[in-house]
Amino acid sequence: MSLPTDFGPDSGGRVKGLVIVKPIVYGNVARYFGKKREEDGHTHQWTVYVKPYANEDMSAYIKKIHFKLHESYANPNRIITKPPYELTETGWGEFEIVIKIYFHDPNERPVTLYHILKLFQSPVSEGMPQVGRALVSESYEEIVFQEPTQLMQHLLNNVKPITNGPWCHDTNFEDKKEKTLEKIIAVQTKVRSEILELKDKLQLAKDTITKFKDEIAKLQNNPGSNLLSVI
Amino acid sequence: MADILDILDIEQPSASEITKDSIIHGDKNKKKYVTAKAVRRPEGMHREVFALLYNDNKELPPLLPTDTGKAYKQNKAKLGMRKVRKWAWAPFTNPARKDNAVFYHWKRAADEAKEYPFAQFNKQVSIPSYSESEYNQYLKSEDWSQAETDHLMDLCQRFDLRFIIIHDRWDKAAFRDRSVEDLKERYYNICAILSKVKTNPWSNTVTMVNGEKRVYHYDADHERKRKEQLKRLFERTQEQIDEEQMLLTEVKKIEARKRERERKTQDLQKLISRADSGGNNIIQTNINDAANTLTSASSIARRHDRKLHKKKISSQQRPVRAVEAVTVEWAGIKFPEARGTGVWLRSQRMKLPPGIGQRKTKALEQELRLMSIDIAPTPTEAICKHFNELRSDLALVLDLKNALASCEFELQALRHQYEALNPGKTLTIPPSLCNTNTDGESKPVGEIIDVVGSPSTLNNTI
Repeated sequence: MSLPTDFGPDSGGRVKGLVIVKPIVYGNVARYFGKKREEDGHTHQWTVYVKPYANEDMSAYIKKIHFKLHESYANPNRIITKPPYELTETGWGEFEIVIKIYFHDPNERPVTLYHILKLFQSPVSEGMPQVGRALVSESYEEIVFQEPTQLMQHLLNNVKPITNGPWCHDTNFEDKKEKTLEKIIAVQTKVRSEILELKDKLQLAKDTITKFKDEIAKLQNNPGSNLLSVI
Repeated sequence: MADILDILDIEQPSASEITKDSIIHGDKNKKKYVTAKAVRRPEGMHREVFALLYNDNKELPPLLPTDTGKAYKQNKAKLGMRKVRKWAWAPFTNPARKDNAVFYHWKRAADEAKEYPFAQFNKQVSIPSYSESEYNQYLKSEDWSQAETDHLMDLCQRFDLRFIIIHDRWDKAAFRDRSVEDLKERYYNICAILSKVKTNPWSNTVTMVNGEKRVYHYDADHERKRKEQLKRLFERTQEQIDEEQMLLTEVKKIEARKRERERKTQDLQKLISRADSGGNNIIQTNINDAANTLTSASSIARRHDRKLHKKKISSQQRPVRAVEAVTVEWAGIKFPEARGTGVWLRSQRMKLPPGIGQRKTKALEQELRLMSIDIAPTPTEAICKHFNELRSDLALVLDLKNALASCEFELQALRHQYEALNPGKTLTIPPSLCNTNTDGESKPVGEIIDVVGSPSTLNNTI
């Protein structure tokens, strides 16, 4: 292992109370050939990737990323050790890709993402897939380092930008986040008022049940009732 | 030469030559050296024993005498050594018979003088007797004349207390017809009285326990009822049997639904406490108090129901779970807290805990879709928190709706019960409760009527 010894696996343990969050984006782009390829029947070229959400070089803390493809691919276990963490293949079908991210510190266990490789636009009614135009299917995720080791802390805090130019994504996640949160909070308020309403109704229902039962009990205890002869 | 062959364990050629002559007339001398092949295991000899004797064809048999020899020579049983004993066609009298009738049977001529052996099985029942004065003193009855009593005792004596026969032979011309139970009652009464006043041991009615007389007590009323019951049971028509069967299955259904409802009530209790202690501290109602009084009231009412039901069904009512055992800890869904240390993905925080069942998960997703919220939203910290809270609240809403539906159902049931008890009158369910139609879970009206199980109708029909 080529790591500096003063940050060895057991050096200093974990940093109490520290949480470092590294947002990432993972997913795939796909491009339709325009026809089925003669020799193997493949129709799309696709690229699956993991990239940082912010402009920073993840190789500082990521040791390697393991992409596990469908078993029908030759050597389905692909390991990428340097950015860009991406992998380009061709194929004809969608499947789940298991992405496992390993960190430099062996004390931090790898994390696993699952991505469904997407080749086709979801509403099929849109007609034939367009040639050349890329389809993007990507997700936002946050890797949370809860009380990282000192080594990991060091690595996480010393990341360099990947590029000097602008760093942006196909999907506007900031907008999405904002809207999602707004919506959830709005619905939450509605649901809570519904809870109150339901509780009131429930209370009323229970009171009414008590009342009814009292009425019935009264009736059953009444000696004049013709019921008693039946009992 | 033979010795050398012996030592070298080489077979003598002469011995292995098997000729017809050597088998039939094989003399003793030769037999010693005969190979194992030639010696047949005598029939009946155990294989192990044979192996001991002939394990090595050159070995001599043991010098010590054995007693096996004879066993194989003589295998026929010795029969017919004694003289045949004679049988004779002889007359006999049965002492059980009073008429000295003579019959004939075969018997050995040897055992001549013996008494008829089956006479010992002629057991006599000892029937108590009484004198005239005893009768007048103790046994007088308004219902029974002395002549009739005498007749009864006589028949008892004659037919050894076989009351069915006694009843059959009862002198119906002289006395009025009496049932078997009447006869038995009178007889055992007499026995009881006489055993008290006299010391005669009538073994069959009086037993001595710890030196104290125990008199058999005949419960005539009980017997009459028992027979009546059996008779009725026997005389049921097919329709009646079918109806009973049908009713029993109905009762079972009702019981099952009742249990289900009770269970729901308890769940409801849990739910209410959950709703109160939950993360949404919007109101602090005294639902708990109300619910407590409610459950006690409902349990009283339930006891009434049960009393009625118990008449016909021995149902295995589940004991009402203690309401105190309810956990008052969480509202809706409890998501696991942040783990200790290490790396994890934010989206993992949004996974439903494993305790949530498939059905609930599906229901939650359905609700979210109805509100057009992504079931896997972009995982930021704030979104995770609110998304989880939202689902927790939604789970609570679902539970509350279910509880409300079951309440509504119970109300309907109670109303029908009331109407059945008190025809012409009814109870009014508050209108705000009537339209809670949650996800088509409220039962169709037909079923509600069916379920009511109002005890009075039940008891009338059975």
